[in-house]
Amino acid sequence: MSEAPARTLMSDAWRSLRFRPDVIVAAVVLVFFLVMAAFPGLFTSTSPRRCVIGDSRLAPQGFGAEHPFGTDSFGCDLLAQLVHGARPSLLLAFVVVGIALVIGITLGVLAAYYLGWVDKLVTRVIEVLLVIPLLLAAMLLLSLFQGVDVGSGTLGTILLPALVLTMFAWMGYARYVRASVLEVKNHDFVTAARALGASDLRIMTRHLLPNAIGPVTALVPTSIAGVIGAEAVLSFLGIGVRPPAISWGLMISNGSEWVTGGHPHLLLYPLACLVVTVLALVVLGDALRDALDPRLAA
Amino acid sequence: MGRYILRRVLQAVGTLFLVMVVLHLLTTFAIQLNGNPALAFFGEHEPSASQLAAVEKRYGLDDPCYDQVGNPCAGPFVDRLVAYAQGDFGTNLRGRAVTEIVAQSAPHTLRLFVVVTFTWLTIGMVLGSVAARWRGRPADHGIRFTTVLVDALPVFVLLLLYKFVVTVPVHQWARSEFGSESWPALWFRPSFDADHPWATVLIPGILLGVSGSAAFVRLVRASQLESYSGEHVRTARSKGLPERYVVLHHVVRNSSIPVVTAVGLVFTEALAGAVVTEGLMNINGMGGVLWGAVKGSDVSLVLGVVTLLAVVTVVVMIVVDVLYAALDPRIRYE
Repeated sequence: MSEAPARTLMSDAWRSLRFRPDVIVAAVVLVFFLVMAAFPGLFTSTSPRRCVIGDSRLAPQGFGAEHPFGTDSFGCDLLAQLVHGARPSLLLAFVVVGIALVIGITLGVLAAYYLGWVDKLVTRVIEVLLVIPLLLAAMLLLSLFQGVDVGSGTLGTILLPALVLTMFAWMGYARYVRASVLEVKNHDFVTAARALGASDLRIMTRHLLPNAIGPVTALVPTSIAGVIGAEAVLSFLGIGVRPPAISWGLMISNGSEWVTGGHPHLLLYPLACLVVTVLALVVLGDALRDALDPRLAA
Repeated sequence: MGRYILRRVLQAVGTLFLVMVVLHLLTTFAIQLNGNPALAFFGEHEPSASQLAAVEKRYGLDDPCYDQVGNPCAGPFVDRLVAYAQGDFGTNLRGRAVTEIVAQSAPHTLRLFVVVTFTWLTIGMVLGSVAARWRGRPADHGIRFTTVLVDALPVFVLLLLYKFVVTVPVHQWARSEFGSESWPALWFRPSFDADHPWATVLIPGILLGVSGSAAFVRLVRASQLESYSGEHVRTARSKGLPERYVVLHHVVRNSSIPVVTAVGLVFTEALAGAVVTEGLMNINGMGGVLWGAVKGSDVSLVLGVVTLLAVVTVVVMIVVDVLYAALDPRIRYE
C-alpha cells in the first residue's frame, strides 16, 4: 500500500480552486490588469500626457483609430489614461495590503504566543483603532497633509494615502491570526517542538504561522478590493493620488462632471475598469473563503 | 446585568480616551510636519504676522509645541479634553461651533440610518432565510451570486452611477409625468431637499443599505444552516410540528441573535459609507458636513466631527453588546 502524499490546507484549497470557471475568469482578469499596471507600453503607444486641447471630449472611435476610447476634457487620450492609471491604483492597494498583512500577522502571532502584557497592549491598540473607520481616519490625516510635497514619482504620489491606509488596515488580520494561533498553540505538536528544544522564533515561524495563516488568506483579495475603492473615494475628494499623476479614482472624479454634458464614457470607462477589477478580487476572495473553510460551503 | 452594563461603559470610556489620544497624536504630528493649518483660514491670501497669530490663538494652535517635531503636545491635549468635557468641540473656519453644526445635521444622518438599518434587516433576513431553506438549490446559488456582486460594487460606485446616470433622466420623466412635487419625482431627485427629508433620503439610504447587506445575508444563512441541523430542530420535527412552525419559531427566530452583532460589525463601515452617500447626494448630515470640510480644508471641523463620530461608534458598540447579552441567555454577564 503506497502512502498518500501529504495534503495541506493550502494544497487542498488549490485543488478545489483551479478548475472552478469563476476563479479562472477572475484570475485572468486580474492578471490582465496587473500586466497593464506593470507594462503600460504593451497596451498603448500614446502618452497619457500628450493632450491636445482642440481634440477634447471626442467620442470613442473604436480600435484602430487614433483615440480608441475618445479623449477627456483636456484632450488627453482616454485609453492611454486608463492604461497608465492602473498602476497607482493597483500599486497602492497591493502595498497597503502587503504591509498591513506583515504588521497584522507579526503582532497577532506575538500577542497570542506570549499573552501577558504583549497581548493586552496589542488587543487594546486594535480595539482603539477599530473605533475610527478607515475612511474617516484617512480623510482627517490626508486633509492635514494636503500641502506636503512628496515628489511626483509613482511612489511619491501614493506615499501619503499608503501610509495612512496601512495604519488603519492591519487590525483585522491581527485579530484573525491571534485567534487561530490561540487555537493552535496548545496542540501536541507545538508542545513536542518545544520539548525538542525549538526556540520561540522557530515555533512561531515554522509551527504556528503555517497553521494559523489560512483564514487570513481569504481576507486578502477582498481587502485589496476595499483599498482600490477607498483610493477612488479619496481621489474624488482630492486627497488621494495627486493630479499630475493619473489614477482611476482621479479619472472617475473628472469624468463625473461630464456625464450630464453628454459624455458619459468619461465616467463609465474608468468606473468599469474599477468595478471589473474589484469584482474579480471579490470572486477570488469568496472562492478562497469556501476552499479554506469547508464548513461554509454549500 | 446592571454590573455588566456598568463595566462595559467604563471600558468604553477608557477606549474613547485612547481614541482621543491617538487622534491628538496623529493630528499634532501632521501639523508639526506639514506646517500651520491656520494658513488654510486665509486661503490664497498672505496673512500678516499679527493676523496669523490671532487665528492661531482662536484655534488653539499658538502653543510652541506645534513647531517642535516629536513633541506630543500634552498641554493642548489637556485643554482640548477639558473643552470636550464642557461640550465644546471647537469651531469651523467661519467660527460656528462644531456642536451646533452637528446638532443641525444629525437628524438627517439619523434618517439615513433608519432607512439603512431597515434595508439591512429586510434583505438579510429574507435572502438569508431563503438561501438556507433551499440550500444548494438554484435559489441559494442565485443569492450567493448576488451577494458577491453586491460586495463588488462599493457604495461610491453605486451612488456615482445612480446620481450621474440614473437620476437625471428618471427625475425628468417623473416630473413631466407626475408633476415636480409628486412622490416619484422627489424620490429620484439627484440631490437632497431639506423640505422633503424622508423622500429624498429614501433611495440613497436603500442603496447604502444594499451595499452593506451581503454580510447580513451570509450571516443569517450560516446561522440558520446551523439551526437546521441542530438537535432542537430535530426534536421539534419529531414531535410532529408542522414544518412552517419549525422554520419560523426554531430556525428564523434563533438567527436573529447573530444579526444584532452584525449591526455592530458593519456599523463603522456604514458610517464611512454614510459620509460618501451624504457627500455625493448633498445630504446635509454629519457625513455631508465632514465631506464638505475635507473639500474645504477645514481641519478643525474635520477633527471635531471625526471625534464625535468616534463617540457615536463606541456608544453603538456598547448598545450592541448589551442587546446581545439581553437576547441570548447563554451569555454570562461576568
